[in-house]
Amino acid sequence: MRVILAEDSTLLREGLVRLLAEEGHDVVAAVGDGEALLEAVKTHRPDVVVTDVRMPPTHTDEGLRAALEIRESRPETGVLVLSQYVEKRYAAKLISGDGGRVGYLLKDRVAQVGEFLDALERVGEGGAAFDPEVVRRLVARTSHEDALGRLTQRERDVLEKMAQGHTNANIAKLLFISQSSVEKHANAIFDKLDLPQAAGYSRRVLAVLRYLGS
Amino acid sequence: MIKWAARTTAGVGLGALTALAEVPYVVVGALLLVLPAARPAVHRGARRLAEVERARLLRFLDARNGDDYDGRRALQYLAPRGLLGLLGAGICGCVALGVVAVPVFAGQLVTGRAPGGQRPAEAGEWLLIAGLAAIAVFLCGQGIAGVAALDRRLARRFLGPSHRELLRRRVSYLATSRAEVVEAVNGERRRIERDLHDGVQQRLVALGVLLGRARRSGDAELVRQAHEEVQEALRELREVSWRVYPIALDESGLDAALESLAERAAMPVEVRYTLNGTPSLAVATVIYFVASESVTNAAKHSGATRITIDVHLVDWKILVEIADDGFGGARAGGTGGLTGLRRRVAAADGEFTVDSPEGGPTVVRAVLPCG
Repeated sequence: MRVILAEDSTLLREGLVRLLAEEGHDVVAAVGDGEALLEAVKTHRPDVVVTDVRMPPTHTDEGLRAALEIRESRPETGVLVLSQYVEKRYAAKLISGDGGRVGYLLKDRVAQVGEFLDALERVGEGGAAFDPEVVRRLVARTSHEDALGRLTQRERDVLEKMAQGHTNANIAKLLFISQSSVEKHANAIFDKLDLPQAAGYSRRVLAVLRYLGS
Repeated sequence: MIKWAARTTAGVGLGALTALAEVPYVVVGALLLVLPAARPAVHRGARRLAEVERARLLRFLDARNGDDYDGRRALQYLAPRGLLGLLGAGICGCVALGVVAVPVFAGQLVTGRAPGGQRPAEAGEWLLIAGLAAIAVFLCGQGIAGVAALDRRLARRFLGPSHRELLRRRVSYLATSRAEVVEAVNGERRRIERDLHDGVQQRLVALGVLLGRARRSGDAELVRQAHEEVQEALRELREVSWRVYPIALDESGLDAALESLAERAAMPVEVRYTLNGTPSLAVATVIYFVASESVTNAAKHSGATRITIDVHLVDWKILVEIADDGFGGARAGGTGGLTGLRRRVAAADGEFTVDSPEGGPTVVRAVLPCG
């Protein structure tokens, strides 16, 4: 995959460039701020952009703003946002609008290289990837507690994995259950949460997250 | 001495003249105060007269007073001041009498006549006159000095802020400085958060990536790099926690903490510490942060090659001076570290100044009460 990295810490940026190169990805540009990121996206037309939220000059949400702009202007580009904290606001902004190709990970997750690469690939292939912590917090804070309260423990597990962006096959593997029972659980969840059934897992994630984050 | 006496006498004499205007003004003004409409004008006039007094006191009696008083207070001042002026006029009259008497007596003495008469002088008469003259000179001198002293005292008492006003200002100052301390603390927290986020966290994430790569590739070189990174991360963490609070302050005192600060600095830092012992922890903490922030600033922005930290006692106050040989231009404004320091020092009832002309050198100075 052709990737652009935006991260202001040189150390981490170099580390990620090497990692992605070793994994066979093509890092076409590595930049240190939001402005340069937008510039690089225009020039290189990457498959995926990985960006930190806090970057110079203001160290607040440059990366996120750049990510939203890229999603707006070039929706075919996958965007994976790395954030220091779980910000419900950020997650909500990122998942507004359809189409997947979006991810939101806690920055620390990058250290779990496997998960990071997995998330990057999911986003690059048109899916979604949300950090387990993000999902957990969104679930914990949701105002639809009654609806969630109707879910069984197993359904909650499935919902959480779904929200992280896993496919049914993946969820089956992770929870050691058959794929057909995952589908069954998923349908039960949609019924209980009053969500219309939708095809394609990224739409499903978005629907779930939007519901949880509302 | 003579010059000083002449100035004082001139001051008292002028004061006698101004009293001639003040006394009638106070009498008429006090009557006019009954009319609410006349009050502002009366107060304005009183203030103008008081300003004349203030200028006279400064010029002739070396008494510096603030102009920080209102018309009401000026009028209150003018009443006793007018009476005092009249007293001064009386004494000036005595002096004038003496001055006139001197040539008269001198003429009689030279021509051999008795004092005040035409008959020949008798022995002893002139001795008595000389004695009386000496006493009169002394009394006049004392009178002048006394009026001058009272003049100064009155002005000090009435001109300038009242006790109540001073208290009000103190309260408002305390409220401001308290709010500023909260702001300073928040500023420091923000910086610590930035330190942790930009430094330690990035390093640890990078380390995680490094280890992840090492695991996937089995490359021993990556493991070695990771090991080095751990050392760096630990060092950085130590630095950050030291910046949060130097524990040496509690354990071994201010001088040890400053020494340690000097050792950690990237350039030569000389510490001159001449206090006996360590001040109270609150003051020591402020001193430490003034020093450490100034050293950080000097290292970052000033291009200095060496820094001195000087802590000593002046007039029962602790003076902290941090001087560098950089190119200056530091300003204690906006949201920078110097503003935070100013707030911290103000909260400890101290004064904070930065002297940093373009081209350097920079001297950061804090004066703190002995705690």
